[in-house]
Amino acid sequence: MDIKELFAKQEEIKRKNLNSKNEKESEITKVMTFYIGDQVYGIEIPYVIEIIGVPHITVVPGIPYYIKGIINVRSKVVPVIDMRARFGKEEKEYNERTNTIIIEESGVSVGVIVDEVIGVIPVYQKYIANSPDRIGVNDNKFIKYLLEMQDGIKLVLDVSKLIFDGDMFMVDE
Amino acid sequence: MAKVEPGMEAMVDVYIFETTGLLEQLDEILLRTEKANEFTEDDINEIFRIMHTVKGSSAMMGFDNLQQLAHKGEDMFFIIREAPEKMTDVGFVYDLVFQMSDLFKAEIDMIQNNDDYEPTDFSEMIARLEKGAKMLKGELEDDGGAAAAAPAAADNAAQAADAPADSTTVRVFFEDGCKMENIRAFMLINNVKESVDEVEIVGYVPEDIESNQDSANVIIDNGFLLTFRAPDPKTVFSAIENSLNVQSYEVVDNPTPAADTAEPAADSAAASAPAAETVSAAPAAAAAASPAAAPAAVPAEKPKPAPEQKAPAAASSGSGKQSLISVNLQKLDQLHDIVGEIITTESMVISNPELEGLRLESFTKSARELRKLTADLQDTVMSIRMVPLTGPFQKMNRIVRDMKVKLGKDVELVIEGDTTEVDKSIVDNLNDPLMHLVRNAVDHGIENSPEERIARGKPGKGTVKLSAMSSSGEVVITISDDGQGIDTEKVIQKAERNGLLTKPISEYSEREIQNMILLPGFSTNDVVTEYSGRGVGMDVVKSNLSKMGGSLTVESKKGQGTAFIIKIPLTLAIVDGMEIMVGDAEFTVPISVIKESFIVKHDQIINDTKRGEMIMIRGVCYPMLRLNEKFGLPSAVNDIEDGIVLLIESENRGICLFADKLIGEQQVVVKPFPKYLSQYDIKGQGLSGCTIMGDGSISLIIDVNRLIESH
Repeated sequence: MDIKELFAKQEEIKRKNLNSKNEKESEITKVMTFYIGDQVYGIEIPYVIEIIGVPHITVVPGIPYYIKGIINVRSKVVPVIDMRARFGKEEKEYNERTNTIIIEESGVSVGVIVDEVIGVIPVYQKYIANSPDRIGVNDNKFIKYLLEMQDGIKLVLDVSKLIFDGDMFMVDE
Repeated sequence: MAKVEPGMEAMVDVYIFETTGLLEQLDEILLRTEKANEFTEDDINEIFRIMHTVKGSSAMMGFDNLQQLAHKGEDMFFIIREAPEKMTDVGFVYDLVFQMSDLFKAEIDMIQNNDDYEPTDFSEMIARLEKGAKMLKGELEDDGGAAAAAPAAADNAAQAADAPADSTTVRVFFEDGCKMENIRAFMLINNVKESVDEVEIVGYVPEDIESNQDSANVIIDNGFLLTFRAPDPKTVFSAIENSLNVQSYEVVDNPTPAADTAEPAADSAAASAPAAETVSAAPAAAAAASPAAAPAAVPAEKPKPAPEQKAPAAASSGSGKQSLISVNLQKLDQLHDIVGEIITTESMVISNPELEGLRLESFTKSARELRKLTADLQDTVMSIRMVPLTGPFQKMNRIVRDMKVKLGKDVELVIEGDTTEVDKSIVDNLNDPLMHLVRNAVDHGIENSPEERIARGKPGKGTVKLSAMSSSGEVVITISDDGQGIDTEKVIQKAERNGLLTKPISEYSEREIQNMILLPGFSTNDVVTEYSGRGVGMDVVKSNLSKMGGSLTVESKKGQGTAFIIKIPLTLAIVDGMEIMVGDAEFTVPISVIKESFIVKHDQIINDTKRGEMIMIRGVCYPMLRLNEKFGLPSAVNDIEDGIVLLIESENRGICLFADKLIGEQQVVVKPFPKYLSQYDIKGQGLSGCTIMGDGSISLIIDVNRLIESH
């Protein structure tokens, strides 16, 4: 996605949020939001290394179906996870809006393929709702917290669970 | 790593690196001199330099136990310096010094690896060293004559140190090569006088530091002795510590190192420096022992031209050292990655589709230039990681020496081709396998007694040969002995006892039997010795080597000797590969395993009962493995006549791989799979890693052994 477009979106979102309420609270963190299906998800900015399109993926045998293979990100070999497949949603073909977000936690890099990146939003304490149970989706264990905002609920992903909890997910299946 | 004073952490690495290097040098000198049975003045000077640096840096890092140990070692050599021939004549000296160096290495290992490092108490070793020093001195006294001066002077010096009961004498060493040591000493005295109240400088040796330029050399060799009287000596010590260019200092008025006090005393006397109050008895010593001291004075005076003597030594070792720097391996890997990135980017720029159809003469020219330079850059970076095998090979000298002593066997180690270069990561992992094989050769290979050997028409002295050479991307290391060879009868009996046989005895070839000793749980030695025979040996060696991508085979002739042959890839980081396509996936097959590639006809294929395909090549039947089926890849090429077949062979097992097409030969940089994928068994699928190709795509590297196993 074009960076300018991204910033424009971000600004727009910021304006919307500012207009609706007079923010006095300080922001806790920033979250990069994106679509998987119709739902908006988010990843906290400190984990995000970069956003790219969908490069050529090299298929690797012997790994779960939701790990699509490995890609070359500036001479680094990074595995990519299809989030639709990971969350048990129907997979769809990648298009020009599909993005790969490269995230890193404790030296382990992973690319996550999402339908579309929306932008970056600031997070304030009052948005946070600590009750992921309220939403009846089967991906609860990867949710760190919810953001209840005017333009809808956003699910912020728990990156360390996403990266280090692979085996448990497989057992669930 | 051990916890050290804050701010010193960064220094510990340097300390460990330096000290390890110095100790290796020490071992090398000791081994060489022991073998040559002569001990020159250069050697002793070199040993002094080593011990001294080790002592100094240990003290600086606050490892007092190591400093003390080095100090006692130094003391011992002070005595030996008087009579270098004692080094080779007196048997226990080498053992003692080797033990000391071992303790040192073990301790440094602990410092390096233990977070909660506790200093080891070396008092036992120190006591042994002291005893050794005494015994040596005893020998020297027996020798009478020249040597008598040393203990005589020692007594006097000790007396001198004792005489002003409340005074303290310190020996100060200045930094190597700081020049004008005499002036530094003078400044030191002033500094002490200025910074400490109520200090009384009783005296110092050499005394003529202000007037005599030569006194600098005396200070270089023996240190600067300063005797003072102060209410609190500690304040003086800290003043000395804070003085410029001071490398180390020690208090010498305790009775134990009397020997080394004696030395400079004798020296100073000989150097015609009328000793000061410090060693007020020294002139008397010189006078009393003057007939005896005279011969002593000759060697003592010699150190004067020492700077000249040292200079070439320092120059030779110095030039060797200064042309080398130590670099963190991680940084090299980083550099390696960046170079890979540059090459990828370069080909992206040069073959950019937007340039197509344009007339770009000067661009093409510059691009060619750039390509040449990047290729050079890549070669250079690759070569940085290559190090000679000298290190691990030289270490074997020590092992053979120790075993010779312990087992009472007369064995000589011959080393050939130790300048062969291999990748750093391989060298690091070679030590253990080599050590095991060399020990094995000495312990099991060489006959127990020279008589046995002579009866077989061999020289009484056994030979173990360690040789290395590189051939087509591989390094071949051979450990051979001219000993008794493998007793195949015994081996097969033992294998039978241990239940290792898989077919009737009569069906085993000699070679197969010999290679049985590499199986897990096999050891022919009935008696477990300190060195080998635990039955875990050979298979561990073999599996360690195969982890590095290497192999181990045995060749032996009964009565004539055994050879263990290690073959390892020159480097783990680079593989000469053949690129093949399967569907739209690219794979790399190491060239070294490819025997041939060809197109097959339908009628060459033999189908076995389990629907498996096989092919007959020159009378040998090979199974056919279709890579697209194996890796579950959709492929347009399903007819065996449309694709290509590669015959690959590894560890005497062969298999045919069917792929869509060959792309070509390429050197590739091996990268491990990402950490995230380590939870899955990709390697078990027959893939050893991946590599990034020039166009930025990723190719998977096939691990032939695993592939054959998993088939």
